[in-house]
Amino acid sequence: MATQVDISSNGTGRVASPSFWSGVWQNHAPGYLFLLPWLIGFLGLTIGPILTSLYLSFTDFDLLTAPDWVGTDNYVRMFTNDPKFAASMRVTFVFVIFSVPLKLAFALGVALLLNRGMKGLPLYRALFYLPSLLGASVAIAILWRQIFAGNGLVNQFLANFGIQGPSWISNPNYSLWTLIILAIWQFGSPMIIFLAGLRQIPQDMYEAASLDGAGKWRQFWKITLPMLTPVVFFNAIIQTIEAFKSFTPSFIISAGTGGPINSTLFYTLNLYNEAFGFFRMGYASALAWVLLAIVALFTAFSFLTSKYWVHYDD
Amino acid sequence: MTTDAERLTVVTAASPGRRRLFSILAHIVLIGVSIIMLYPLLWLLAASFRPENEIFTSGVSIMPSVNWSFDSYFRGWNGLRIGFGQLFINSFVISALSVIGNLIACSLAAYAFARLEFAGRRFWFAMMLMTLMLPYQVTLIPQYVLFLNLYWVNTILPLVVPKFLAADAFFIFLMVQFFRGIPRELDEAARMDGAGPWRIYWKIMLPLSTPVLATAAIFTFIWTWDDFFGPLIYLSDLRQYTVMLGLRTFTDNTGMSDYGGMFAMSVLSLVPIFVFFLLFQRLLIEGIATTGMKR
Repeated sequence: MATQVDISSNGTGRVASPSFWSGVWQNHAPGYLFLLPWLIGFLGLTIGPILTSLYLSFTDFDLLTAPDWVGTDNYVRMFTNDPKFAASMRVTFVFVIFSVPLKLAFALGVALLLNRGMKGLPLYRALFYLPSLLGASVAIAILWRQIFAGNGLVNQFLANFGIQGPSWISNPNYSLWTLIILAIWQFGSPMIIFLAGLRQIPQDMYEAASLDGAGKWRQFWKITLPMLTPVVFFNAIIQTIEAFKSFTPSFIISAGTGGPINSTLFYTLNLYNEAFGFFRMGYASALAWVLLAIVALFTAFSFLTSKYWVHYDD
Repeated sequence: MTTDAERLTVVTAASPGRRRLFSILAHIVLIGVSIIMLYPLLWLLAASFRPENEIFTSGVSIMPSVNWSFDSYFRGWNGLRIGFGQLFINSFVISALSVIGNLIACSLAAYAFARLEFAGRRFWFAMMLMTLMLPYQVTLIPQYVLFLNLYWVNTILPLVVPKFLAADAFFIFLMVQFFRGIPRELDEAARMDGAGPWRIYWKIMLPLSTPVLATAAIFTFIWTWDDFFGPLIYLSDLRQYTVMLGLRTFTDNTGMSDYGGMFAMSVLSLVPIFVFFLLFQRLLIEGIATTGMKR
């Protein structure tokens, strides 16, 4: 074998005796060499940590002393004896259930308006996209805190009509809604994807439909929406996962507490506090695995049901 | 019964008047939405130039104050012990290194997935797609422990090194899509001339892929610039702080609050993103649009 290792690259143009191992090397090594950085990252920063975190989720671990096996205690405590976990689940689900459909509906509505050959489409599209691009910034979260503060922009506006608005961010009835509005404000990127999808719908379908006397309303329900379902599906999955992972706005607006009275305690914020506030790394790992299970279940459910409502023409 | 020709005239004849009315209404709606969406940003900009005592007394106005000044900017810039200048340098360094890392590592992996044949390619590709959906919280704590043991905590390494290991799978995906669109005849021709995979990657794929590389570079820069969670966890020394961490300290000081300085630095922190937006909005919008398409 040793004699056969290097023959592939002797550069003389002679065809070396084809050996099995040099063939394997020639055919597969370049692929793995190009893949190497990703592979190291995947094994060292993804797969390794995933397995470690699964193990840690069954332990007590404070970062200083070795992990202490506690079985399913973390999971049991989570579902039976942790009001913060319950609150964070409620907050996150309310956030996802309201912010994602509203954001998508808004994105689709504006995309439909823009798609009718509007003059100034590039300008509108760019303006609507800007908040999506800026929205993840701490600066925007700070601005939002100010807009919905007791003496903030919204209340100054309401004062013109003699309405005394509450301090939206420090009132548990409204605080989560300020974050939902912040999410809807960033409807630009799904809107762009909708626009690209709308452009793929063949125009002759509409011409045929209008010859058959179908009005705009009917055309929307019978052509536009069915043809757009793959894009709706894509946007819904991406936005839902993003919503579950959202962290910065709730951290900045509540100054890291998730308050008032846990009303903005996002799942990720609760996890951060458990891990890096209380150093309950085992418990936080269990929280991460429950989040993974929720996202995985949601994704699997979406894909399984997709064949009943997502229209694929090819 | 009407003929097709008659029906066609009915359809088109009814249109122009209604179409114009619709178009005017649509513009009114769109302009209204634009104003509502941009108003907060304009208010922030106006507030950053107001004297401190006018910020909350000028109502909803976005008109510049007659007493406008750069005072808030000077105060904010010198607000932290070390000054915001250092924070901007830190953020730029981390973002620039992340761009370099992502471009190199993601394009290498994407080339392997798009063009090279090797055992297990489909398997690894499926694995890569799975990581797209993975919530980062699942790897967070073991990664933190790993970086802690490497003595990398409170350095920029945990923020930068993963980029050189193609941890942002999204960009691999984006580049694979683009590479697949490059005609294979070009590689074949180069291979005939004796070029190996490395030369094909370097001399053919990369030069032809400047649009997707630029898109990846810009998004990497913006996302790294905006990243708050990573620096929050890994950087605790003020001298290492990024701009986003610096902004957050304004919201911490509940007692003495310098609203002007906070707004001014918020505006400054958005400037790099805004510049990218102005220069490359077409590229960014196309980048977003293609990720949502079937091909």
